[in-house]
Amino acid sequence: MSIGARDDILGRVRSALGRTAENRSGAVAEVEMALAARTRGSRPVAATDPVARFRAEGERMSSTLDEVASLEDVPAAVGRYLAACELPRQGVVWPTLAALDWRGAGLDVVARGVTADDPVGITGCFCAIAETGTLMLCSGPETPAATSLLPETHIAVVPVSRIVAGMEEAWALLRTECGAVLPRAVNFVSGPSRTGDIEMTIVLGAHGPYRVHLLLVNDV
Amino acid sequence: MRSQAMFFRARSGEKLADQLLQRNLATVRNRFVDARAAAIARYEGDFEALRDSGQEIRDRVLANLDVWLETFEERACSSGAEVLYARDGDEICRLVTDIARRHGVTRAVKSKSMLSEEASLNQALAAAGIEPVETDLGEYIQQIDDNEPPSHILAPAFHKSKEQIAELFARTHGTPLKSDIAELTREAREVLRAHFVSAQMGISGGNFLVAETGSVALVTNEGNGRMVTTLPRVHVVITGIEKIVPTLEDLTTLLRLLPRSASGQDISSYVSVLTGVKAERDSDGPEHLYFILVDNGRAGLVGSEFQDMLRCIRCSACMNHCPVYQSIGGHAYGWVYPGPMGSVLTPLYTGIGNALDLPQASTLCNQCGSVCPVRIPLPDLLRRLREKQVDMGLRPRGERLALRLWAWVAARPVLYRVASAIGVRYLNWLADGTDRIRVMGIAPEWSAERDLPAPEGRTFRELYRHRSRQRSGNGPGSPHNRSV
Repeated sequence: MSIGARDDILGRVRSALGRTAENRSGAVAEVEMALAARTRGSRPVAATDPVARFRAEGERMSSTLDEVASLEDVPAAVGRYLAACELPRQGVVWPTLAALDWRGAGLDVVARGVTADDPVGITGCFCAIAETGTLMLCSGPETPAATSLLPETHIAVVPVSRIVAGMEEAWALLRTECGAVLPRAVNFVSGPSRTGDIEMTIVLGAHGPYRVHLLLVNDV
Repeated sequence: MRSQAMFFRARSGEKLADQLLQRNLATVRNRFVDARAAAIARYEGDFEALRDSGQEIRDRVLANLDVWLETFEERACSSGAEVLYARDGDEICRLVTDIARRHGVTRAVKSKSMLSEEASLNQALAAAGIEPVETDLGEYIQQIDDNEPPSHILAPAFHKSKEQIAELFARTHGTPLKSDIAELTREAREVLRAHFVSAQMGISGGNFLVAETGSVALVTNEGNGRMVTTLPRVHVVITGIEKIVPTLEDLTTLLRLLPRSASGQDISSYVSVLTGVKAERDSDGPEHLYFILVDNGRAGLVGSEFQDMLRCIRCSACMNHCPVYQSIGGHAYGWVYPGPMGSVLTPLYTGIGNALDLPQASTLCNQCGSVCPVRIPLPDLLRRLREKQVDMGLRPRGERLALRLWAWVAARPVLYRVASAIGVRYLNWLADGTDRIRVMGIAPEWSAERDLPAPEGRTFRELYRHRSRQRSGNGPGSPHNRSV
């Protein structure tokens, strides 16, 4: 019987590395040490004002921004944004935000899984990253991944208290709050979907949203 | 993909003479170069230190690749994925078609995977009655253009003008001819959206595999990578065994290098870190996740003088900055990877004897090495491949004889002095009183494209002796302890 692909490939890697029974335990120890140490590499200087940095970088990545005092103000702000852009006033929201008074703001917003035809997707975020103006979205039953992807407009609620300096801090927060096992999908979203595949001309709205609107909430 | 690298000379000649291609290349030339330079100028940190970190991470993995693979495998499996291995392209095709059959798949949507190009997976899927649909805009354009191979690893249709693409869309989709790039993009979006929703299987590459969590990380701008890994019930990741990074922190560091080096972005629109399958209550995500970890020549580089090449994170900075790539585009290289990275990988993965011209297709100017985010010494690797060709007796007879003759003369100082004096006078005669030599009888091919500066008049040794004599006559100091 011919040797299986796994054993063949691993066998050749081992012999190329000169792996022996004796030096294997050293290698395993090195790997375990690296996993435990989680050494951070070189990184840029952290911003003195992470919120200002998040706003500036978000705009650089072609997101638009607005700010409200509290969560209760979110539906009205969403309504204002949709009206200003002349967009449909209907969409899908993450179940985590279902309790807000969407109807009161004149919006037809439902909490369910998104379909390809829903025009607006409203999400929260796990946290947001100042360095690059990025949203960190974790998938789950209450926070489906597709809501930020299929609609042409994505609106994200970003509590200012959840803005962290860099991706390192975002991972640390995730480990603290959710443990070592990652959600199925962790999506980092920085502005609308885009492509430069035709003559390297940037076009917004390739397969995902044409626009990403970030609603900063101050008192959460 | 069957390599055409042995036809490099003929094909690069054709590409240089192709006026339409040359005009298209001129439209996009330097865009990537300028974007990268601007991104690095803006970076508020030490980019050279970041490159050091990147190199260190990749080297750390390669030093214990076997244990890292086992660690990744164990953690991916415990999160609900299945990890498979493929020795070559045929095994990739067999595994993917088997998975497709097992799950009753009739259509597979693909986000970019260079490994699937190595394997010619689309042809194999089609032969098995499964419709493959490329969803990266550039890859899609290439697929509907009679499956033309990509000419750039990041921007596969880099070599086409918008007019060519517009015509292709009108012909393929049966729609009116468009001229606006945004409208063309929307047309592709609408066509592909239907495929995303109906396909039962998504196939992606993997920018990185995270050992700590058993995850794959995908870096995309269009969002097709997210579609392909969110909507279909089966997700197959095809990636090389070298793509592992240890921790999420290491992934973070490499994510600071990759988009800046590639497209000059601080970060791409989407970075997805995917682990395991959908939970029972999840409304989206695949029910089955397979990793196909591929060798196809990679294991042979481990521990070899070419191991540095396995650090590659496929950013494309080397080709973007290469004067040869800039002049001929990607297709002349004849296999999956163009530019300097391809000139190293193609001979190593498809056989040194099958790609003799590629390691020579470089001026060794080190533009590539100086922009590589993980400091791969590309010119050194190209030179080593040239040495291998010589060691293996693969260079042409004329070249071997000429070099042997030169070595013989160079080892005999008196003879060398006489020969070089004759050579200089011969070159001066060719220059015919000007400072340029336009045609050289012994290298007509070489001098057809460029002029050689004419020698100043005398050989180095003649000048050296002359100046030494002048100095010893004019003042103190012996020529032996001065630099000349």
